[in-house]
Amino acid sequence: MWGYIEKLRGYLRVSGVSSASRRYFVMNFFDGAMTMLGITVGAFATGSVHPRTIIGAGLGASLAMGISGFSGTYMAERAERLRRYKKLRKAMLADLKRSMHSKAFRIASLWAAFVDGVSPALAAAVSMIPFALALVGVIRVEHALVFSILLIMAMIFGLGAFLGKISRENIFLSGFKMILVGVVTALICLLLAAI
Amino acid sequence: MGRLNPVVKRLVLDVLKPHEPPIYELAAKLASLHGIDSVHVTLAEIDQSTESVKVAIDGSDIEIDRVKHCVEGLGAVVHSVDEVSVAKRTSLK
Repeated sequence: MWGYIEKLRGYLRVSGVSSASRRYFVMNFFDGAMTMLGITVGAFATGSVHPRTIIGAGLGASLAMGISGFSGTYMAERAERLRRYKKLRKAMLADLKRSMHSKAFRIASLWAAFVDGVSPALAAAVSMIPFALALVGVIRVEHALVFSILLIMAMIFGLGAFLGKISRENIFLSGFKMILVGVVTALICLLLAAI
Repeated sequence: MGRLNPVVKRLVLDVLKPHEPPIYELAAKLASLHGIDSVHVTLAEIDQSTESVKVAIDGSDIEIDRVKHCVEGLGAVVHSVDEVSVAKRTSLK
């Protein structure tokens, strides 16, 4: 098992897909969190906070984001990496069929697509936990609404802090910048509903 | 009576490789092969996509085909064998 993981890490290192995967994770996790924020705040603003409806909408949205993310990224990454692989073959004047590079570009494309597909679904799933608890009667719907929004803000802050750590900036400042985007989004949703 | 089998003790190869994996990974993979005691890799030339390296391998019984297979597995190509040292090995029938 450990051998396979080391092999996979080797392929990902050779293909240089780690930085692209990080970007895909951040962008799409943020997408998933903001989508759920929009659904939650929109439901509150229109007065129709039913856990089943919110979970249904959230599941639908995360499935759509996941499938589109996976397939779109796979096709884009595969095209780009195949181009680079052919360029390398030309530079090496060799087939490279038996080399790790021929496997690496395929695995890198799949990995990037997996990260792109799973990350918004993960954000949406975490956001829906309070509503799932409300559905089975563990907490009240009003509390689920508040907890969900707090969870989303916490995830967004965490994402910002992660970006701050990568770029070696103040992690709290980075986190609060992301939260600001979330707050503005929520306010715009409320404003539109009021109109 | 003994039978004489030559054994390769030293091999110096001219290898063309992509930038990834790095030369220390190439050296480590070669050094893990049976019959190889040490590997020395020197960077000779570098361009946008590739690197030319000199790989010096010392061991008790170097298998050239396995070395080539290992090198090609890492996406590199053996351009030439620049140096080889072979010794007699006796084995009893």
